[in-house]
Amino acid sequence: MKILVCLKQVPHADARLDVRSDGTWIQEENIKFEINSYDTYALEEALRIKDAGEAEVVVVSIGPDRVTQALRTALGMGADRAIHVNDPDAEGSDSLGIAKILAAVARAESPDLILMGLMADDGNFAAVGPMLAQLLDVPHTTTALKLEKANGSFTVERELEGGALEVVKLGTPALITVQTGTNQVRYASLKGIMAAKKKPIDTRSVADLELSGQVGAAAAKVRIEKVYPPPKGEGAEMVEGSTQDVVGKLVGKIKELGLL
Amino acid sequence: MGSILLVAEFQKGRIREATYELVAFARRVAEASGREVHSLVAGSGVEAAAEELAKKGGGTVHLVDHEVVAQYSLDPFLRAVTAAIEGASPDIVLFSNTPSGWDLAPRVAAAHDAAFVSDCFEVEAEGENLVLLRRVFNGKFDARVVPTLPVVATMQPGATSAFEGSADGQVAKLDADVTGESRTQFVEVREAEKKGVDLSKASVIVSGGRSLGGPEKFEEVIKPLAEALGGAVGASRPVVDAGWLPHEYQVGSSGQTVQPKLYVACGISGAIQHLVGMKSSNFIIAINKDPDAPIFEVADLGVVGDLFEIVPALTQAVKEAKG
Repeated sequence: MKILVCLKQVPHADARLDVRSDGTWIQEENIKFEINSYDTYALEEALRIKDAGEAEVVVVSIGPDRVTQALRTALGMGADRAIHVNDPDAEGSDSLGIAKILAAVARAESPDLILMGLMADDGNFAAVGPMLAQLLDVPHTTTALKLEKANGSFTVERELEGGALEVVKLGTPALITVQTGTNQVRYASLKGIMAAKKKPIDTRSVADLELSGQVGAAAAKVRIEKVYPPPKGEGAEMVEGSTQDVVGKLVGKIKELGLL
Repeated sequence: MGSILLVAEFQKGRIREATYELVAFARRVAEASGREVHSLVAGSGVEAAAEELAKKGGGTVHLVDHEVVAQYSLDPFLRAVTAAIEGASPDIVLFSNTPSGWDLAPRVAAAHDAAFVSDCFEVEAEGENLVLLRRVFNGKFDARVVPTLPVVATMQPGATSAFEGSADGQVAKLDADVTGESRTQFVEVREAEKKGVDLSKASVIVSGGRSLGGPEKFEEVIKPLAEALGGAVGASRPVVDAGWLPHEYQVGSSGQTVQPKLYVACGISGAIQHLVGMKSSNFIIAINKDPDAPIFEVADLGVVGDLFEIVPALTQAVKEAKG
């Protein structure tokens, strides 16, 4: 079987984020990037299916040159080959634009299963998965915590609210979005990284995918006008001073609460 | 001008609170923009619920009453929503950002080549435009989003108060065939297992986040403070995802919801999913090195500093205070 894993490269969880000068997004110059945490679990699930039997794992990502590093990491972890949609015309795409690009890639690849993270750590839209499934006219489910393959179908445990689970069965081809914490995500081993250097990364442009004018900022239906730090809560009284001062104040408060 | 269609949802056989929150959002936008409110109620044996929604602000309630929509399942619900969209001709469709809402809503948007915005905490009509507010970067920033219409949006449960007034509406049975091929098969719902660690009863919870760096730091730094205060240890999702602590210690929307007398958040930045699980605590102390961490938004007392220095000193001081 063939599994397509869609990855997004996002600012590193520890990166210091500042709003960029036009106010519409964060500034992405000179910060570290990493594979979106949710997508690492999706890749791990794909690699586990590969480990258990015959599967080819193809990874795809959209973005500028820096995305090559994310794809190399994925190849180092065990993916077989990569597709990089690297084109300024794709920049500024909204979720639907991204889904259209991925749909064009998926149509050419005809995977049995598409896996991706539930959402991305930057935009938090959780939109591309179900949109891509709709464009490809395949069934999907979201928020998977466990996937089991049997006789050409997948049984998925998806997370509901408050720790409840829903069990859903779907036939292939299918798309599944993965929640974090499904399984321990492997690291790229040194051997894996060496082997990855020989694995192919195919580059595609928007024109290659016959999507000129249909994706990118101009075609986006969702425009982020402004990003800004959330308003501070009223209650957060900040305690300052030496460690001794701070601790003294905290203990005073804990006493006031009747807990000491 | 189109209308607003909201998609109702059931919980334990009743229309859930989040649906009445959608009603509140929809009516505010409707009043500001002259739109009409429509609702979709899809379920089995739900005619009375539809009547109730019609009396309580749901406007024209399109009803699909069929056993195949008794439980959320992709294809039948896609058919029901598509039929309601044909019936109501909305240019704004609202879902709750719940497991069925986030499963279905983006797909509905793609099917109609429409804009999609998720997990919004505010929606306002501004002239011809609709403005939606939502969080990005796991709560580090807010974003003001302006979609082209038509738009499908999901709203964060609890972001506004449920509509509690009454208003004249009517139920219209929707002529929709929701049967047919279903490519996903619902098997069962498994309720949350009884937790080995019941944080809901703890009067003090000391929680640690990813910045602790490893499971041994919970033993060295977090647990001693929890013990000194006679409390329990909690954790944020990344800690549990990394396997440092079992899931039963997780506080948040996918873990336990807690309300202790005192919640001490150490090195927890405050992703929304964590905040919803602990923000109702009686008193919250947050210790974090990042002054902009969203945890300070819900905290009562905040300390910007190194938890590895402050927490052990606090543990010592608590022990001394107890004598």
